[in-house]
Parts: sequence; structure tokens; C-alpha cells
Amino acid sequence: MILSSVKLKNFRSHKETKLIFSERLNYIVGGNGQGKTSILESIYYLCTTKSINSNFDGEVVRFNENELEIIGSFKDYSNSEARISYFLNSNKKIYFLNGKHITRAADIIGKFPVVILTPTDHSITQGAPGERRKFVDSVISQASETYLKNLLDYNKTLRQKASLLAQLKETKNKTLFDELDAWNSKMIASGKEIIIHRLKFIRKFKDFIKDSFKVILNDDEIPGVEYMFLEGLSQEENIEDIFFKLLHKRKDDEIRRGSNLVGPHRDDFVFKINDVDLKTYGSQGQHKTFQVVLRFAQFFYLKEITGKAPIFLLDDVFGELDAKRSIRISEYLRQVGQAFITLTDFTDFSFLQKEDDDLVIKLNNGQVVYA
Amino acid sequence: MQIAEPLLIAIEELSKLPSIGKKTAQRLALHLLKSNTEDVDSLVNAIKDLKTKIHFCSRCFNLATEELCEVCKSSKRDHSLICVVEEASDVIAIEKTHEFNGVYHVLGGVLSPLTGIGPDSLKIKDLLKRFEDEEIKEILLALNPDTEGETTTLYLAKLIKPLGIKITRIARGLPIGGDLEFADEATIGRAVLGRISL
Ligand SMILES: [Zn+2]
Repeated sequence: MILSSVKLKNFRSHKETKLIFSERLNYIVGGNGQGKTSILESIYYLCTTKSINSNFDGEVVRFNENELEIIGSFKDYSNSEARISYFLNSNKKIYFLNGKHITRAADIIGKFPVVILTPTDHSITQGAPGERRKFVDSVISQASETYLKNLLDYNKTLRQKASLLAQLKETKNKTLFDELDAWNSKMIASGKEIIIHRLKFIRKFKDFIKDSFKVILNDDEIPGVEYMFLEGLSQEENIEDIFFKLLHKRKDDEIRRGSNLVGPHRDDFVFKINDVDLKTYGSQGQHKTFQVVLRFAQFFYLKEITGKAPIFLLDDVFGELDAKRSIRISEYLRQVGQAFITLTDFTDFSFLQKEDDDLVIKLNNGQVVYA
Repeated sequence: MQIAEPLLIAIEELSKLPSIGKKTAQRLALHLLKSNTEDVDSLVNAIKDLKTKIHFCSRCFNLATEELCEVCKSSKRDHSLICVVEEASDVIAIEKTHEFNGVYHVLGGVLSPLTGIGPDSLKIKDLLKRFEDEEIKEILLALNPDTEGETTTLYLAKLIKPLGIKITRIARGLPIGGDLEFADEATIGRAVLGRISL
């Protein structure tokens, strides 16, 4: 998938910006507040219909304006034009694909696969388990619609069961307990699918992590990732039985607290370097490297599974890395194809080998200069 | 512009119907105004009959014009096989396939604690009563394969199992998250034929 150009109107600080991209590396250079990150954000918005950093779309509309618009030209086997508009007044979003009005978000999601590396990725390796589940779930969901549907189904089950647990806290009668059994059975049925899918995914994804790690570090360190589920399991065992027994054991606890205490919504993933837990013992440099590795692994994993190269967006990837690693990453990007990389100031990155096909786009006070 | 009050009221009432907006309601009202009296009368009567002549079957809660619905009254149907569905619209969907020869039981919904629907809000006790009153050999659970439908299926299966009656459910020919009402006839037909034991 190649993005040949975008046109932004009233997106963040961009009043009207038109950009033509290279099919190779696109370095977007500018000082703070020049809107380089918002260009990556707008591409992400166009590909996913969602804003990356805010829950409310109104936040990405330029100050004092009502309507934002992003138009992008994609090149795959054929050309396509995508256009998204958002209206602040009515909080409405409209999507057009090749001039055809698209009403279901599901018809867009997955059409333009995208991988984005941002400074907020630190929470994946350093944050709470929920951040790691969010990462893993988003990668699998991009590759498997079945998984996404299963996840939505499971989350609905959790909400329904939580509501029942609240009722049980008030009145304990036989009918409600029978109903709880049914919701627990449902939870086991769809939760088990999620666990098996995650196990299968991690087994495969591990190799992608190893490959990327080797390219970026090229030393003796070996990365690892382990999936911990159902209070300490890491191997595929009798999932149904164990899940059932745990739910039984925690039943009174769940009712007293009115919330779901057992299941894949509480799982975690443990990242390791040479068998040592990264979260507890990793240095800042190791964390940052691992975050970059995860996004490269995601890129090559999705490319293999979907047969389509995702659009790769890297926001401030070289920020905290030493020159040696930065050089390796910039070389690694040659294998990606097209990528979009923000840089604060190009002169600081003399190690970058700009080739003829690459493009440097400088942003300065609303002016766009190609170098 | 001054609009005559009867017209305003008609537009207001029509726009209460599902998927009818203000504009469509206005078009419909003006169309009725131009139609001849006979046509309008027969529409009014049809709507009135809907409310006065149709009620719920006292046995299976399907739509009926008499005490019992057409299916429950028929001697050609297999009365030992009950197909459990969510709504009367599901009966219509399955009947259209001509693949099912048993009788029905309409639950009137599915379990959903979030919206306050528990077993007592559904026709579950009435279903259990039928096992005492009738000679039931098999029960086919044909609820929508969504989160709540699946859970209700599990709930009913556990409830009925001790009674020693054969329990089956429709095969997963239906798309996950899909409504029975909107699936095409061939899919529902296959699903009813390919039922599996629980
Ligand atoms: Zn009946």
C-alpha cells in the first residue's frame, strides 16, 4: 500500500496543506509546533477513521473552525481515493471511498492497514498490563476479523455479567445464580477462543520480534515474550476446566466486588531480554529499543499475514536512541518500502543516508518545502 | 405558512413509525390526502384489525387470530418438536423456509441484565409448563447467535437437561452477530436442518 498524496483542511494547525509523497522514505522535518506530528496523525485518521491521541474528534479540528477534511490517494493494485470529513457542530463524520459514501466503519477498517510508532509507546513495555493487551489485541484484530468479533462479544459478555453481579450483590436468589452460571459458561466459551488465539499469535509473533531485534541490535541478546493468562498459566492446558474452576473459586469475591475478576481481560504479556524481565530490569535504552522492535515486528507480521504492506508512521523514533541504533533503524527502513518519519531537525541526523528516491519535507510557518 | 391541523397531526403520527422521518411522513400524509376514500378506509381498517384481531397464541406466544395460532392448531405439524425463538418475526423467517415441521415457542426476548431482562421477563416458565402438559420429545433452540442469544441458549440447555428431553440448537450457518430476521432464507433453512445436539 502506497500513499501518494494527502490534502489536509483544518486538521490541527493545518489550515490547508497539500503533500506529495515518495514511495520510499519520507522525512517530515520541522521544529516544535510546526505540525509534523499532526501529518502522521491525519494519515492515521484517514486510515482508521479514529484519532490516535484523543477520544473526542473535535480536538483535532483547527481552532475556530467547524469542518475538517482529509483526502488521500492510495496506490495498491489499483488507485483509490479516500476522503474523510468531520463536522464539529453536529459531531458527524462522513467517509467517501472512490466517491462512494461508506456508512459502516467496518468497511474501512483493515482496508488501509497502518502501523504507528509514537513516544506514547513507552506504556507498552513500561505501563500496566492493559496497555500490553491493547497492543496485542490491536495487532491481532488488524489481521483477523474473527478475533475482533470475538473480542467485542467477550467484552459485551463482561458488561452483561458485571450488571448481573451488581444485582446479585443486592438480592441473592436461585434464579439469579442460575443466570450467573449461564453468563459464566458464555464467558468461558468466548474467553477460551481469545486465549487460544493469543497463544497462537504470540508463538508466531515471537519470531518477528527476534528478527527485528537482531537487525536493530545485532548482538548476542535474545528477546522473548511470554503470554500469562488465567492467573499464571503460560502453556495451553485444559483451559476450559481451569477457567471454570477459577470462576467458581472467585464467585463470592466477584459478587462482593460487583466486577469480573477472572478471564483474558486480566491477562498480561511479559517481554524479556536474555530471559530477564524487561519491565522490572530493563534500562531506558532497552525499553525504547524494544518499543521500536515491537512496531517493526507488527509491520512485517501484518505484511505477511494480510499480504499488504501497512502504512508505516514513525513519530520521533530517533529521539532517545544512540547513533549506532539510529543508523541500524534507518537502514532497516529500507526493507519497509514506504515510511513516514518525523524529525525535529534534519541536520542533527547526519547519519541518515538520504537516497535519491527519498523525500525530505520541511515545514516552516505553514510553508512546505521539498528537499 | 399555515398548515391545517389534521395534516400536522397525521404527519406527527406517521413520523413515530420506525425508519420514517419527518420528510417521508409529510410525503405519506399528502399522498393519503390525495388518495380516494375507499383506499384510505381499507388502510385504516387494516391497521385497526392488526390491533383488535391479532394477539398472542396462548400456548406458544406466536401471533394468532384465535386462542391458538395457525401452527399450534395444525394437525399436520409435529407437536413433539418445539423450536424456541426470540420473537414472532423469527417464526415468520423460519416458516418461509418450509424446512421446519414442528411447533414454536416465542420467548419474547433474551437474557440481558444491562436492560433488566431476566428469566422472569421471558416466557420461560410457560415453556417449562408445556413439558408437563404436552408430549415433548425434542427442543430446538434457534436464538440469534449474538452474545445474549448464546447465553440464553446455554441457560435454557442447563434448565431443560435434567428433564431428559433431547436438546438441539441450530447449526452455526448464521454469521456471528447476525440477526435471524435478516439472514436469507437459504441460510436459515440450512441452519434448521443441520441442528446439533447440546
Ligand atoms: Zn401457537
